[in-house]
Amino acid sequence: MVDLVKLVARGIELVSAGDRQDLRQRLEQTLRRLLDPSIRVIVVGEFKQGKSQFINALVNAPVCPVDDDIATSVPTVVRHGEPPSAVILIPKVGAESANGEPALERRPIKIEDLAAHVSEKGNPGNRHRLVAAEVFLPRKVLAGGLSLIDSPGVGGLDSAHSLTTLAALPTADAMLLVSDASQEYTAPEIQFLRQAMRVSPNVACVLSKTDMYPQWRQVAEANRGHLDRVARDIPLFPVSSDLRLHAARLQDSELNAESGFPALVAYLRTDILGQTERLQRRSVAQDLLSSTEHLRLALQSELSSLTDPEGRPQMIAELEAAKDRADELRRRSARWQITLSDGVSDLIADMEYDLRDRMRSIQRDAEQAIDEADPGPMWDELVIWLEKRVAAAVSDTFIWTSERAQWLAAQVAEHFTQDEVPLPVLHVADTEEVLDPVHSVSVLNPGRLGPIQKIFIGMRGSYGGVLMFGLLTGIVGMSLINPISIGAGVLIGSKVYKDEKEARLRRRQGEAKTIVRSHIDDVIFQVGKQLKDRLRLVQRGTRDHFSEIADEHHRSLGNSVLAAQKAATTYNVEREQRIQYIKTELVRIGDLRKQAQALQPMPAAAGSM
Amino acid sequence: MSDATSSAVLELVRDAADVYRDDPTASRALKGYALRLEEPLRVAVAGMVKAGKSTLLNAIIGEQIAPTDAGECTRIVTWYRYGDTPRVTLHPTVGKPRALSVARVDGQLTFDLGTTRAEDVKRLVVHWPVKSLREFTLIDTPGIASLSEDVSVRSTRFLTPETSPSGADAIVYVMRHLHAADLNFLRSFRDNTVGEAGTVNALAVLSRADEIGAGRIDSLLSARDIAERYRRDDSLRALALGVVPLAGLLAQSARDLRQTEFAALVELARLDRNERERLMISVDRFVRFTDVTTVSSEARVALLNRFGLFGIRLAMVLIRSGVTDSTALAHELARRSGLNELLNLVSAHFQGRAALLKSRAAIIGVEALLRARPRVGTERLAASLERIQANAHEFRELRMLATVRTSGLGLAASLAAEAERLIGGQGVTPQRRLGLADEAPDAQLRESAMTHLRRWRALAEDPLTDRATAEICHVVVRSCEALLAAHVKGSAGRVTARLVLGPEPPSRPGEHTHD
Repeated sequence: MVDLVKLVARGIELVSAGDRQDLRQRLEQTLRRLLDPSIRVIVVGEFKQGKSQFINALVNAPVCPVDDDIATSVPTVVRHGEPPSAVILIPKVGAESANGEPALERRPIKIEDLAAHVSEKGNPGNRHRLVAAEVFLPRKVLAGGLSLIDSPGVGGLDSAHSLTTLAALPTADAMLLVSDASQEYTAPEIQFLRQAMRVSPNVACVLSKTDMYPQWRQVAEANRGHLDRVARDIPLFPVSSDLRLHAARLQDSELNAESGFPALVAYLRTDILGQTERLQRRSVAQDLLSSTEHLRLALQSELSSLTDPEGRPQMIAELEAAKDRADELRRRSARWQITLSDGVSDLIADMEYDLRDRMRSIQRDAEQAIDEADPGPMWDELVIWLEKRVAAAVSDTFIWTSERAQWLAAQVAEHFTQDEVPLPVLHVADTEEVLDPVHSVSVLNPGRLGPIQKIFIGMRGSYGGVLMFGLLTGIVGMSLINPISIGAGVLIGSKVYKDEKEARLRRRQGEAKTIVRSHIDDVIFQVGKQLKDRLRLVQRGTRDHFSEIADEHHRSLGNSVLAAQKAATTYNVEREQRIQYIKTELVRIGDLRKQAQALQPMPAAAGSM
Repeated sequence: MSDATSSAVLELVRDAADVYRDDPTASRALKGYALRLEEPLRVAVAGMVKAGKSTLLNAIIGEQIAPTDAGECTRIVTWYRYGDTPRVTLHPTVGKPRALSVARVDGQLTFDLGTTRAEDVKRLVVHWPVKSLREFTLIDTPGIASLSEDVSVRSTRFLTPETSPSGADAIVYVMRHLHAADLNFLRSFRDNTVGEAGTVNALAVLSRADEIGAGRIDSLLSARDIAERYRRDDSLRALALGVVPLAGLLAQSARDLRQTEFAALVELARLDRNERERLMISVDRFVRFTDVTTVSSEARVALLNRFGLFGIRLAMVLIRSGVTDSTALAHELARRSGLNELLNLVSAHFQGRAALLKSRAAIIGVEALLRARPRVGTERLAASLERIQANAHEFRELRMLATVRTSGLGLAASLAAEAERLIGGQGVTPQRRLGLADEAPDAQLRESAMTHLRRWRALAEDPLTDRATAEICHVVVRSCEALLAAHVKGSAGRVTARLVLGPEPPSRPGEHTHD
């Protein structure tokens, strides 16, 4: 990593010699990224598959709580740090940071107390509302910026678990799906895998607990088959966390090899770390090459203008033309700008349609359910069902929108046909907290009649009956209250009671439907707003990103033209000196370029790091 | 279940058959219901893939006949019923049933379907001469949430069909942990069999309990705690009558522990502690070649497949703590596996209610038929159907049980628990209803029933009791009376009961169907 840092530092030094603040900023950003690498690997799986034990075995320390019953309730991040320490992240009450997300408070805790904070026992259903916990450990495995995230199990009793996991995925560099060797993959696991692959392409599978199941090889083979049907080349690692922990205790390297972990660690280091390193090298090389290219252009034009005065006018004309083209890119009416703004408005319209469509089908199902039975007693169940369906639909829309946004950015980048243009980093798929502003579903009157109410309704009917028939029978000389009139009273009373009951049922059904409808409306309104906001941010981000590139081009070309013109007025004495200076400068730049180029065609083993 | 109700249901089915005599589909269905009333209760074993359904089935049957494997194994709904000679019949979706050869590998049956594809098979029926099948017909179903969707569909179609009563009268639901898929399935099974007369007729089994604590020796204790948590979980309470942990593999294999296996276990148990621990560290180490023991690798693989690492560990502990012969070991393993507890629950909830559960299937079937194909004469049938439902006290108990489990009774917690027990929430034997030990003498039963009867009657007649509670009280009082009637010869108990019961609340039209 050190050589990269040195290279970038030299690049900054070169750039600051010229008057190019923009290039300098870009390189400084590159340097910052280099100095603080963070490769997030998220460990997911259904509950009770041994995710936490797997992380413990990987870092060989009991950091994540393990229990026979459901254990993890809060995501835990394990990363490199010296000395060992732990912090928990709690949202600050009432405080919001600049971009509208709630500010987090980092509270250090003792590493031994961690279990009390993140386990289902110490913190059932995440009662303390922790956002996450972070653990720092001095481990070789973690060096190089690897951080492991232990997530609560998916497919649990409430699918909110799986939503949080999916929400965390776009920010992760890789995902490990843990499933134990007791059985092959189930439908929910494969479904989750498919969904996750759309968000994060680096997926590997871990088959845990191989020490317990004699048939683990058969299960692994079956799983291999299932994975091949999802996508090719998803690696599968059979491991045994307990064996690795035993091995560490007994210092038994043979046992460690049997645990299957060495292969996994190798995968993490070469593939995941290696790949991100390769990516990083590529982007560093890219940054250096383009900055030096910008510098070289100005110096080269000045040099040619100094050494070859005759060709000067033609050169200036060419440069002017190039500058005009660069200007064209900067203008609002440039083709890429149009593509972007059209694309975003299309995207917003499509997204709204998609969201509405999904919500309407949910609403239809809910109304059907309400029509079929009395919504009073089953209201709680219905609300849970409704919330789950809504959450799932919203996350689908988000994933889909994020895919479309990436595609749009790529589309815009095509207009910059010069060298590979880096794409802006977009995060739309993050569904965390989108549903927060939506009010929870209101309470429906369960429709149980109290005894007094029942009597009252019955009485209301029977009163009329008694009176009517009492008067009638009064004609033949019977008293107002007589067996016939009472009988009629009872009959009519019960009829009224029954009618009233039916009317109340119908009213309740109507009320339930209204509640569902207004809830869905609320969701469409709030989620639609949030999605639109995010898409606008994407639009703005993309525009800024590409304008910057266009600006850089413009400035470089402008500088070159100026330099070439300036050369014409330079005196002979100074000219010699200037040529000398430019030549040495160009040699230095050329050196740096060569080194940057050497970074680019990657040797397969980036071993030394 | 009183015989009167049983025969009334049979009568109803016969009448319906008479009305629908010229409708071949309806006749066939009705003939099926009539037959079903006379057969043993149909208990299906259902659950997610690889939850251990077939293993559990073997454990209940007491012989290892249902095929089990590391991969997904059961792909066809398979019925196990009693027969004097072993026999396997294949019922295709179209065409006539045909007999398959009875082939066994290592005791397990293998089904050779020949040229028939699994999707064209409606069910396999195995007749087997085992005592336990005289009381139940056990039905093995393919796992739900399977990756091969058609397999899961076969299960759901059989257990929760859209228009007819479920193919099973009750289910034992096998799960490893409570997943959303489990809850959904149980809910649809309940809602399907509910119709108007809602009830809960599923038992949940926390299977593979030995694997819960990574095969540690205290795994079963952990499993017990988890089962206890699920028992209190409201969503599951509404769907299952009880939850028991079960180490299925142990239960299955302990029932036919062989002498050679016992000898091997004894030898392993006598090994030096360090060597033993080194051997037990993982399954791969356990079966690998070693010279510390004369038990061959193959024998160890067989042991592992039959008992699992946990079973072997447990057996070794038992042997070292003084179990000396194979019968005692088998007995102890079976006891610890949790099988007895499960069998007790099955008999308490299903066997005692067998006639009732079977009648329910018939009633729902007839009801669906009347609704789908009304014709001349069906009004009469509908009326007698309603009469049966309203009059049979057992149905009222079932309905109330469902209410207790789903929305609660609105009584104080201790009263609600007592009411639930008295109407048969813990099992239908008098001892279980009264919360007494299973061997309690008659005198004690009578006395306890009397005490309960008095208390509930007093509550029913209390002027401060609201109407809903009073109705609950009446059901409970009826249950108490039934208990007394069964145990008091002569008429003394009944007479007092009728004297104090007071007038029935005036029945109002429409009430029974809406409660």
